[in-house]
Amino acid sequence: MDPTVVTTAALQSQLPEWTALGPVIVLGLTGLLLLTIDAIWPKRNANTTYAIVSAAGAIIALGITVWYLVAGTGQETHGGAITLFSEAIVVDGMALFFTAIFTSVAALVIVASHDYLKGHENSAEFYSLLMFATTGMALMAVSNSLVTVFVSLEMASLPSYALVGFLKKDRGSVEASLKYFLIGALSSAVFLFGISLIYAVTGSLLLTEISAQFADGGVAGFAGVAGIGVLMIAGGFAYKTASVPFHFWAPEAYEGAPAPVSAFLSSASKAAGFVVAFRVFAEAFMPLLEVTPAIDWALAFAVLAVLTMVVGNFAAATQENVKRMLAYSSIGHAGYALIGLAALTAGGPHNGDVMGAAMAHLLIYGFMNTGAFLFIAMVEYWGVGRTFEDYAGLSQKAPLACVAMAVFMFSLAGLPVFGGFFSKYALFASAVSAGFWWLAAVGAVTSALSLYYYSRVVKAIWIEEPNGNLDVIESKPTGLYAAIIFAAVATVLLLPGFPIALETAEAAASALFA
Amino acid sequence: MSWIAIGALAVVGVGIPLGMMAASALLRPSVPEQGKSATYESGEIPTGTARSFKFNIQYYMVALLFVVFDIETVLVFPWAVIYSDAVEVVGITRALGPMLLFIGILLIGLVWAWRNGAVSWTKSPRATRRKTERGDA
Amino acid sequence: MVAAFDFVPAIVLLPFVSFLIALFAGKYMPKGGALAGIAATAGSLLLSIWVAISLLGVSGERIHQETIYTWATGIGDQPWELTFGVLIDPLSALMLIIVTLIATLVHVFSLGYMNDEGETGLPRYYAGLGLFTASMLGFVVADNLLMAFMFFELVGLCSFLLIGFWFRRDGPPSAAKKAFLVTRFGDYFFLIGVVAVFATFGTAQFAGPESFPVLAEQAVAGDTSVVNTTFGLEPTQWFTIVGLLVLGGVVGKSAQFPLHTWLPDAMQGPTPVSALIHAATMVAAGVYLVARMYGFYAVSPTALAIIAFIGGFTALFAATMGVVKREIKQVLAYSTISQYGYMMLALGAGSYVAATFHLMTHAFFKALLFLGAGAVIIAMHHNENMWDMGGLKDKMPVTYATFLAGSLALAGIFPFSGFWSKDEILYEAFIYGLNDPLLLGGWVMGLLAVPITAFYTFRMVFLTFHGEPRSETARNPHGFGWNVKGPLSVLGVLAVVAGFINMVPVQKLTGIELDFLTQYLDSGGEGLTYSGYNALLAEYGGYEAGVVGTEVTTLLIAAGLSLGLAVTGLLVAFKLYNVPEPVEHTAKLGQVKDVLYNNYYQDEFQVWIAHRTQSVAAVADKFDQGVIDGVVNGVSSVSLFGGRRMRKLQTGLVTNYAALLTLGLTALLLAFGLLGGWFV
Repeated sequence: MDPTVVTTAALQSQLPEWTALGPVIVLGLTGLLLLTIDAIWPKRNANTTYAIVSAAGAIIALGITVWYLVAGTGQETHGGAITLFSEAIVVDGMALFFTAIFTSVAALVIVASHDYLKGHENSAEFYSLLMFATTGMALMAVSNSLVTVFVSLEMASLPSYALVGFLKKDRGSVEASLKYFLIGALSSAVFLFGISLIYAVTGSLLLTEISAQFADGGVAGFAGVAGIGVLMIAGGFAYKTASVPFHFWAPEAYEGAPAPVSAFLSSASKAAGFVVAFRVFAEAFMPLLEVTPAIDWALAFAVLAVLTMVVGNFAAATQENVKRMLAYSSIGHAGYALIGLAALTAGGPHNGDVMGAAMAHLLIYGFMNTGAFLFIAMVEYWGVGRTFEDYAGLSQKAPLACVAMAVFMFSLAGLPVFGGFFSKYALFASAVSAGFWWLAAVGAVTSALSLYYYSRVVKAIWIEEPNGNLDVIESKPTGLYAAIIFAAVATVLLLPGFPIALETAEAAASALFA
Repeated sequence: MSWIAIGALAVVGVGIPLGMMAASALLRPSVPEQGKSATYESGEIPTGTARSFKFNIQYYMVALLFVVFDIETVLVFPWAVIYSDAVEVVGITRALGPMLLFIGILLIGLVWAWRNGAVSWTKSPRATRRKTERGDA
Repeated sequence: MVAAFDFVPAIVLLPFVSFLIALFAGKYMPKGGALAGIAATAGSLLLSIWVAISLLGVSGERIHQETIYTWATGIGDQPWELTFGVLIDPLSALMLIIVTLIATLVHVFSLGYMNDEGETGLPRYYAGLGLFTASMLGFVVADNLLMAFMFFELVGLCSFLLIGFWFRRDGPPSAAKKAFLVTRFGDYFFLIGVVAVFATFGTAQFAGPESFPVLAEQAVAGDTSVVNTTFGLEPTQWFTIVGLLVLGGVVGKSAQFPLHTWLPDAMQGPTPVSALIHAATMVAAGVYLVARMYGFYAVSPTALAIIAFIGGFTALFAATMGVVKREIKQVLAYSTISQYGYMMLALGAGSYVAATFHLMTHAFFKALLFLGAGAVIIAMHHNENMWDMGGLKDKMPVTYATFLAGSLALAGIFPFSGFWSKDEILYEAFIYGLNDPLLLGGWVMGLLAVPITAFYTFRMVFLTFHGEPRSETARNPHGFGWNVKGPLSVLGVLAVVAGFINMVPVQKLTGIELDFLTQYLDSGGEGLTYSGYNALLAEYGGYEAGVVGTEVTTLLIAAGLSLGLAVTGLLVAFKLYNVPEPVEHTAKLGQVKDVLYNNYYQDEFQVWIAHRTQSVAAVADKFDQGVIDGVVNGVSSVSLFGGRRMRKLQTGLVTNYAALLTLGLTALLLAFGLLGGWFV
C-alpha cells in the first residue's frame, strides 16, 4: 500500500464511528442549508447560489465517500462493516460504492440543472428536493433493517415525485408526476405488506437476524407466508428499479419529467433500488435458497431480468421520441443489472463476481445514462424537438456534445472499447461462469438489438442533414455542456479504470456473502 | 390445511353480498325513477358535475402542515413521558439532542414554508375574478 | 550490443511510414511518394537481410521471439493474453527477404509503369503499396495466430484498395469487390479457427514451449489435460477440424479450388500490383500461414492429406484453364493458381522445405513474369491481347531475355530455379505418396500439370515475342526506361540462380552438400525445424518414404519424369506457335475449348448457384440473415411488432398500469407458490 493511503487510512480510523455516515449527513445538511437560505431571503431568485451550494454539498459527500473507499472504512481490510443505531445502519464497501454513484450523478445533474432552471421560479425547491432525494438514496445504501429500508426508500421517492412534477405548468410533467406517485404508492403498499409478512415469520426486522432465523429453523411451516413476503419485497424493489412488470411508471415519468430529473431518476434512483435489493436479498434472504420447500427468489429475479431485458429493449426499438427511447433503454439496463441477483446460488463461488459485475455496470451506467439524458436536457433547453428527425444534423451545431452523445450511445449499447462493453462483458461472463449462460445469452441478444436504436441517435445527429429546425440554437449552456463533457470523460476514463472499479465492486459484494 | 379455513372465509365473504344482491334483484319490482339515480347530497339538489368541484389548493397546504406537526406531537409525547428516566440512563445530551435535532429540522421546514407563503390564504384567480365582476356589477 | 532483432519492428514500420507519407504528403512530393516507398522498402530489405544473416551466426540466436505489446489480458480464471509480438526464425527471415525484395522492385517498376505513363492518383497508389507491404510484413513476423489474422485481413483490405485502383472504370471495382468477398468467405472460417484455437489451447502462439502446436502434440501424445476439446471429440479429430477451419482462410487467400475465382479477375488492377499480389504478398500469405503453423498440421494427417489433394487438383485444374487464354496476364494468373497448388501439394506431402523453396523461386520468377508482362503492356499501349503481339523479341531484348528466363523457370526446365523446387515437390509427393493413395493422387495431378504448364508458358512466350508482329502497336512498341529494365534484370538473374541454393537431387547423386536452404530452415529454434516436423509427421501422420528400387533410381525416375514432361510441353508449344503466323489451334479442342475458356463455367456456376438454386442460396441467406443478422435485424423486426404490442400495453391510463402491476405480481406469486409448494 502506498504511504498516502496509509496516512489517510490512519486519519480515518481516528474518527468516531458515526462519521462513517458523513456523506449522508453532508447531503442532508446541504438540503437544509438550501431551505434556510431560501427562508432568509425568499423570492430572491438566486439560482446560481443554490446550484453552487448544492453542487458543493454533493461533491463534498462524494469526496468523503471516495476517501472512505480508499481508506478502507467498513471494508474487510479495516475491521469489516461498521454498524450504527443498533445495527439499523451499516456502512460497508457496497454502501460507499453506491453512495459514490449517487453523489456523482447528483453533482452532474445539479451542474446541468443550473442552465435548465435559468429564469425559473423556486429553484431552491428543486435543488433541495434533489439533495433530499440523494440523502434518501445514500440512506438506502446503508440500511440494514427493513424499517430503515422502507423509510429511506420513501425518503428517496417522495422528493422524486415532486421533482418529476416540477414543471408545474407543463401538463406532461404534472401527469407523469401523478402517475409516478400513484404507482409508487401502490408499490410501497405491496412492499410494506411484504415486510410485515417477513416480520410475521421471523419476528425481526434486522437483516442479519432475519438471515439467522431463516438459517436456523428454515421457514418451519410458514413457507407460504415467507414466500409471499419475499416476492412482495422483490416487487417493491422492482418498482424502484423500474423492472417489468413494475416499470409502467418509468417511460411516462422519464418522458414527462424535466430531463435532468430523468437523468437523476434513471441513474441514481435505479442504482439505489439495486443497492438495497442487493443488500436485503444477499444478506437476509440468502438462506431461503436452501430451505425446503424452496423459496427460489433468484429464479423470480431471473424471470424479471429476462422480461425486463426483452420488454425494455423491444419497446425502445419502436420509439420515435428520443427521450422515451432512452427511458425504455434504461428499463432494459435494469434487466442487465438484475442478473446480479438472478445468477446467485446458495453458497455459489461466483456470487461475489456476479453481484460485483452488476455493481460495476451500474457505476458505468450511472455516467453514460446521466450523460445521455443531459444531452436530451440540452436539446430541450434549445427547444429543438423530441423525435429522431428533430435531432438530425445536430453535430453541425454542437460537435463536441455530439461526440459525447455518440460515446454514451455506443457505450450503452456495449460496443467494444467503450466502458459499457467491459461492464456488460464482465456481467455476462460472470453469469456464464455461475452457470446462467441463458441469462447471458438473452442479455447479449438484447444488447445486439439495442445497438439498433442507439445507433439511430448517432445516425441522426452525425449523418443526417439538418432539416432547418436548428436555427433556434443560440447559446451553449455552459453548465450543461460541462456536465455532458464530464460524464463522457468519466465514461471513457472508466475504460482504463474499469479493472479497479470491478475489483472494488467485487470485493464489496463478496463481503456480503462472507 | 390451515389455508382451507381462509379459503372458506373468502368464499363466504364474497358469497354473502353477492347472494343478497342476487336475491334482491330477483325479488324487487323494477320502478326506475329519476330521484333514485340522482346523487345523494344530504337532501340538497346536486348542481354542476362532480369533476368541476374544486377545493382551494391552500386547504391542502394547511392540511399537510397540520399532519406534519400532528405526527410530530405523536412522536414527542412518548418521548416526553420517558424523558426523566432517559436522562438518568443515557445523560441529557443523548436524550435531548436527537429530539432537538428533529424539531429543528421540522422548524427549518416550517419557516421555509411560511416565508414562501404557504400559510397565507391566497385566492384562486377564478374567485378573484368573480369578486371583481360582482363589484363591477 | 545492437542486435539485428531489435530492428525487426522497423522492418514492418518503414513501409507503414511510407504509407503515411504517401497518403498525407504524397501530392507535395515528386513522383507521388514513390521515392519514400522505395527508400522504405529498400531499408526493410537491408534490415531483413541483416536479420536473416544474424540467424546464421555461430553464437547468435536461432530463433527470436519477443512480445511487443499486450493489448488485452483475460480476467478471472481465464489468463489469456492477446499480444502483438515478433517471431523470427529462418522461415520468417526468408519470407521477409522475399517480400521486401519484391516490394522494392515493384516500387521501382511502378515508376515506369505508373509515373511515366502519367497516371493520376499516384499518392493513393503508393500509399496502398506501402500499407500492403507493411501488412504482409506484419503478417510474416507475427508470433501468434490472432495477430497473423489481423494482418491477414489488412492484406485483404489492401488488395481490395489496389485491385480497385482504377475505380472509375467498370471492371476494377467489381473485381476488387469479388476478391474481397471471396477471400472474406474463406476468412470467416479462419476467424472461427482462431477462436477455436484460443478456446482449445488458451494461446495462439506459434512458437515456444506453451505454443499451440506444442500443446497439440502433447494432446495427441496422450496428455489431454492441456487442451479443451469440444463436442467430446478426440484431440486428433478436433485438431483436424480446427486445421481445416484455418485452412479456409488459406484456400481463399492462396486462391485454391474452389475459392480461386477472384484471382484472375484481380488482373484488373495495375500490373505491378498483380506482381506484388502473386509473388510476395496476398497469395503467398496463405501458404506461408500453413508453413508457419506447420507443427500443428503435422499432428493432423487428415488435414494434410486434404491440403495435398486440394493442392494437386488446383495445380492441374488451373493449368488447363491457362492453355486457352488470350490475355497475357490471364495466363499468368492461372499459372499462379496452379503454382500455389504445387506449394499446397508440397505442404500436404509433408515437405515443408520444398514448399518454402518453391514459394521463394516462384516469388522471383512470377514477379519477373508479371513485371515483364507489365513491360510488354507498356510497349503495347496497354493492350493485353497476345494475338495482337508477336515479334517483340527484337524490339525489347532485355524484356525478352528476362521473360524467357522466367518462363523457363516456370516451366521447370533444368537448370532454372523452378526446376529445382518443382522437382523437389514432386519427388517428395511421390515418395510419400507410394504409401498413401490420396497423396499419390495429388502427385499424379501435379505431374500431369507439368507439361500443361510448360505448354501454356511457351505458348505465351512464342505468341508474344516470336513470329511476325500482328498489329500496328507491336510493330512500333512504346519505349521505357531503366526503372523497368532494372527490376527485370535483377529478377532475371534470380530466376536463373535461385534454384542453386537447394540442389537436393545433385546432393543425393554426388554426395556434395548442396542443400543450403534445407540446412537453413533446419537451423531454427526448438519445434520449428524441418527435422522436427519430419519427426512429428513420421510419428503421428504415418508418413513414410517409399522407394522404387533404390533411392537414386526413385530420384531419377521422379526428376526424369517431370523434366521429360516439361520438355514435351515446351516442344508442343514450339511446334504449334513458334511460327511466323501462328493461328488459334484451340479451335481443334472444339467444345472443350469453350469449357476451358470459360473456366469450366465456374463463374457461371457460382452465379448459377446464386440465382437458380434459390433454395440453397435461400438456406445460406436464411442462415446469414436469420442467424447472424437475425440477432439484430430479425429480432428487430419481431421487436417492432412486439414493441408495438408493448406500446399498446403502455396505455397511458394509470389504472391500467396498477391493474397490470397487480396482475403481474399475482401471477408471479401464484407461479412460484404453486411450483415451490408453499401452499401445502
